[in-house]
Amino acid sequence: MTSKNILLTASLIGLSIGSHAQTLDRSKLPTDAPAPQIKIGKPVTFSLPNGLKVFVVENHKLPRVAFNLVLDREPILEGDKAGYVDMAGQLMRSGTKTRTKEQLDEAVDFIGANLSTSPTGAYGLALTKHTPKLLSLMADVILNPSFPQAELDKIKKQTKSGLASQKDNPNAIVSKVSNVLMFGKNHPYGEQTTEATVDRVTVADCRNYYKTYFRPNIGYLAVVGDITPAEAKTQIEKALGSWQRGDVPKPTYAVPTPPAKTKIAIVDRPASVQSVINIVYPVQLKPYSSETILASVTNDILGGGEARLFNNLREKHGYTYGAYSNLSGDRLAGRFRASASVRTAVTDSAVAEFMNELKAIGNGRVTADELKQTKNGLSGSFVFALEDPQTIANFAINTARYNLPGDFFANYLKSIDATTDADVETVAKKFVKPENAYIVVVGKASEFADKLKKYGDIEYYDTDGNKMDAPTAAKAVPAGLTAEQVIDNYIKAIGGKEAVSKIEDVSMTMSTEVQGQALQITRKQKAPNRFSMAINAMGMEVMKQTSDGTKVAQSGMQGSKTIEGQEAKASILTGSLFPELHFAENGVKSTLAGTEKVAGKDAYKIVHTTGDGITWSDFYDVTTGLKAQTIITQKAPTGDVTVTVMYSDYQDANGVKFPRTLNQNLGPVQMALKVDQLDVNKGLKDSDF
Amino acid sequence: MKKIFLWLALCPGLYAVALAQTPKKAAPAATASPTAQGRIKFTEYDLPNGLHVILHQDNTTPLVAVTVMYHVGSKNEQPNRTGFAHFFEHLLFEGSDNIKRGEYMKLVKGNGGQLNANTSQDRTFYYEVMPANKLELGLYLESERQLHAKIDQTGVNTQREVVKEEKRQRYDNQPYGTIILEVLKRAYKTHPYRWAPIGSLDDLNAASIDEFRQFYTDFYVPNNAILSIAGDIDVEQSKALVSKYFAEIPRGTKPVYRPTIKEPAQTTEVRDIVYDNITLPAVVQAYHIPAQGTPDYYAIDVLQTLLAGGESSRFNKEIVDKQQKAVATAAVPFGLEDPGLFLTYGIANQGVEADDLEASINTEIDRVKKDLVTDVEFQKVKNQIETNFVNQNARIFGIAENLANYKMYYGDANLINTELDRYNKVTKEDLRRVANQYLTKDNRVVLYYLPKAMEGKTDTGKGK
Repeated sequence: MTSKNILLTASLIGLSIGSHAQTLDRSKLPTDAPAPQIKIGKPVTFSLPNGLKVFVVENHKLPRVAFNLVLDREPILEGDKAGYVDMAGQLMRSGTKTRTKEQLDEAVDFIGANLSTSPTGAYGLALTKHTPKLLSLMADVILNPSFPQAELDKIKKQTKSGLASQKDNPNAIVSKVSNVLMFGKNHPYGEQTTEATVDRVTVADCRNYYKTYFRPNIGYLAVVGDITPAEAKTQIEKALGSWQRGDVPKPTYAVPTPPAKTKIAIVDRPASVQSVINIVYPVQLKPYSSETILASVTNDILGGGEARLFNNLREKHGYTYGAYSNLSGDRLAGRFRASASVRTAVTDSAVAEFMNELKAIGNGRVTADELKQTKNGLSGSFVFALEDPQTIANFAINTARYNLPGDFFANYLKSIDATTDADVETVAKKFVKPENAYIVVVGKASEFADKLKKYGDIEYYDTDGNKMDAPTAAKAVPAGLTAEQVIDNYIKAIGGKEAVSKIEDVSMTMSTEVQGQALQITRKQKAPNRFSMAINAMGMEVMKQTSDGTKVAQSGMQGSKTIEGQEAKASILTGSLFPELHFAENGVKSTLAGTEKVAGKDAYKIVHTTGDGITWSDFYDVTTGLKAQTIITQKAPTGDVTVTVMYSDYQDANGVKFPRTLNQNLGPVQMALKVDQLDVNKGLKDSDF
Repeated sequence: MKKIFLWLALCPGLYAVALAQTPKKAAPAATASPTAQGRIKFTEYDLPNGLHVILHQDNTTPLVAVTVMYHVGSKNEQPNRTGFAHFFEHLLFEGSDNIKRGEYMKLVKGNGGQLNANTSQDRTFYYEVMPANKLELGLYLESERQLHAKIDQTGVNTQREVVKEEKRQRYDNQPYGTIILEVLKRAYKTHPYRWAPIGSLDDLNAASIDEFRQFYTDFYVPNNAILSIAGDIDVEQSKALVSKYFAEIPRGTKPVYRPTIKEPAQTTEVRDIVYDNITLPAVVQAYHIPAQGTPDYYAIDVLQTLLAGGESSRFNKEIVDKQQKAVATAAVPFGLEDPGLFLTYGIANQGVEADDLEASINTEIDRVKKDLVTDVEFQKVKNQIETNFVNQNARIFGIAENLANYKMYYGDANLINTELDRYNKVTKEDLRRVANQYLTKDNRVVLYYLPKAMEGKTDTGKGK
């Protein structure tokens, strides 16, 4: 009677079974089973006499064990040595009393393990049979770090080069300024690491941090994998039993409050062609509560992957490549953030749409479709994350740290699933507050500042979050001044036409560092329009461009190509020696477009165009006459790319002044190019290009 | 593999974004330690229509991987109709009698899942990973694909364009992207491994809709497939659901075509130059090796790790770090159902000639032919192999795929637990022996990849 019998019979007599089987209505999608319960092995917990709390999640599926130590301490106000805490965490993995960093690396590699440290913990992963060895290495870095000076020096250098690149990165600026505004500079979340604070950090600071905070009594150690609780206990007691407890300070901080009414904070960045907009404020939202789950559903509908903000600002209006929001809980202070990078001209329109969406989410119900999609998406990503054993470890620890009900994470999907449109409205009303926000904008203030006044009072900040006066407008162009005169003045300023015309060729080498990577750049130019440039990294040439004056040959790791026509012309017009001398023969028209600030100084902006649509701008210092900046936008496969180059530190060679420092951006990356060597008239031949 | 992104912005009007990527290191060889034995439990059975079903229950995470492996790859294609198996990897997402065009992916993503597929010389693999309560949806989708996929001219035209772009992006436009293609066509004279899964666009253009339909009827049948499901399932309930969706799919009516062509042994070295859009020369060597699963294949796999597995491997330590002759090196055992290839390659450092780099590679190969490895190094290699193997089974998706692979290739899904024994049989002496036996001059294809600019004016020749 069952279909099974029919199948069996059918196969016995060798017939195709299709026509005999129960008919399945395939036009309908199957219905989902109920949202599954998450089954996490229940941790066995115990404490060492020194106070270390251990959670063993026994799972013998794979013969490996992960150890995740988390220190539960309050955030630290680092003051005039901001940055030292992170450095201390990194330094712990850089040498112990009996092992150099190299020896540590070797020992970890030999057993095919991972081992890392942070200011608030350590993580290790190895196959079961290497567990005792891994644990002894882990204990060595936890108990006996040696804080080698040389390793700290390396870390300080990396930190500083990181800071330098942030200074001109609008995304880094916007987040710094946002943090200062939300929390204040005397709050752990608002204080800023600077070159000066990094310089003050000593080995003693790192050691003190370690001595004060690396204490077992604030530690949670999750052990996940192929180990029994008894084995774990024996091994951990042996490895970490001698770890001494200590009194760990518990500083308290004022609760940050959102502004009584919305304020505009502008960081003026005249070179920007895009405005980075962040709408931020602190929220009182505790982590891992039922409210947090509702908040994440709400936020996902507002500003998740392809949600309301995205659909409005990108799909409907085309202001941006993406617009998102984030609403996160935290024991000390949570935060809301909505963000997008938009082109300068639509800065105020984009702010308007942000405000519309922020108001709308708390003002009416979300649609059933929005709710369903969000629930499915959140459930899916939650479950995918769970496959990582680290996630499982985190759950065990967070359940203890935050005193959560034992089934909090097991019920997470159910809670997501139970969220209603009414819940979303309630939570949105409580947490989405467009009237009590900081609207932080990093961009070219002169283009949009006036138009933002209607959203709140405007204040200006520097890139470190210090309040400053509104930038004064550059002085007007004197009557009668023409582009040609500005360019003539520039030629005079660098040494005069006669001296300039005697320069036949220039060879220079420059150096810079990008993301910790040293680069050498060799550039050669020969009058009138030949040039070449090669970039070397790690001793190999990663890119080279050569122009014979009509086309540009390009080669690099991604292959070779030759650029001709308009694209080449743009490069040649801006890359050759003293292009100003050859504007006439190349049909370049120059227009004086006004004055603007470049690095705080007034400069004349000259827009150059050719008949065939190439355009770029040069900025000449009003006082010195020297060229201060070039801005050129080029087409790239990923969209327009704007390159801004600022020139400074002009020095004489053969009676002509050349800039010896170039500051250049491309997208998020900022480079300071130092000219190490500059030679004039070496007799370069055309065949060299 | 390490990715180094260098964002380079340069003097006015000149900019470049250079992406330097160390080529993929070979996938680590698979072994398991004694402690890994028997960890992965599974149930397997056949449906009356011949569909082999493997179920692995792991209730740790409420996820389920629903996968179907078809025993069809590029070697099942006809020489004038290459690229079909891979083309189907695209075509079979077009929809079915009940799933509208474009809906397939939407259904998976909108339900919190992920999906993809891949094709090799020997098999094609389709999968969805979804929250566990969507198991039935996954089964429905895969059964629709097997029962009555939509194969029409519109889909063929659309996907042909996609495959064209894929070929451009992954092979033609990728520096060194054609290595496998160029190696295969020189290493194999008669065996269908002489063409790669991507195949020929001309063949795809020339094929009629009936030919595509015939290929579907011939190969995408339950008796040529393994349905491998892993994750948070109940075995009995899953069996019922599998039956509900797959039992009605008719068995294929004729035997599945499997080529029996034997590639004759190579007797003299094949050496050639390929000019490509590259700056740095590359040296590629490909040695004929036995089929995957043979004892010698395992020895070669261990040898691969010794030569090129990780930062402390011989190639990397000697050729990249010490001699600085290469920016990257790799060794890849190209294990296939029929005898495959062992590939080594290096990308030369700036200013290093290809033959200079090849000499260094040969020195390392000669070293393994001459000297036994030390116990410490042998142990390190085994530890590396073991760790990587264990980690491969960390996710249910990997387990579903590995189970299906072991069953399809070796008829024994349980190798997922026991394959280690095969690696453990490999001795230090075996490493030296297989190096002497297979890594010989007459048994290899050597290709120099040189910059196009050098075409016609090279006297670096093809090396010696």
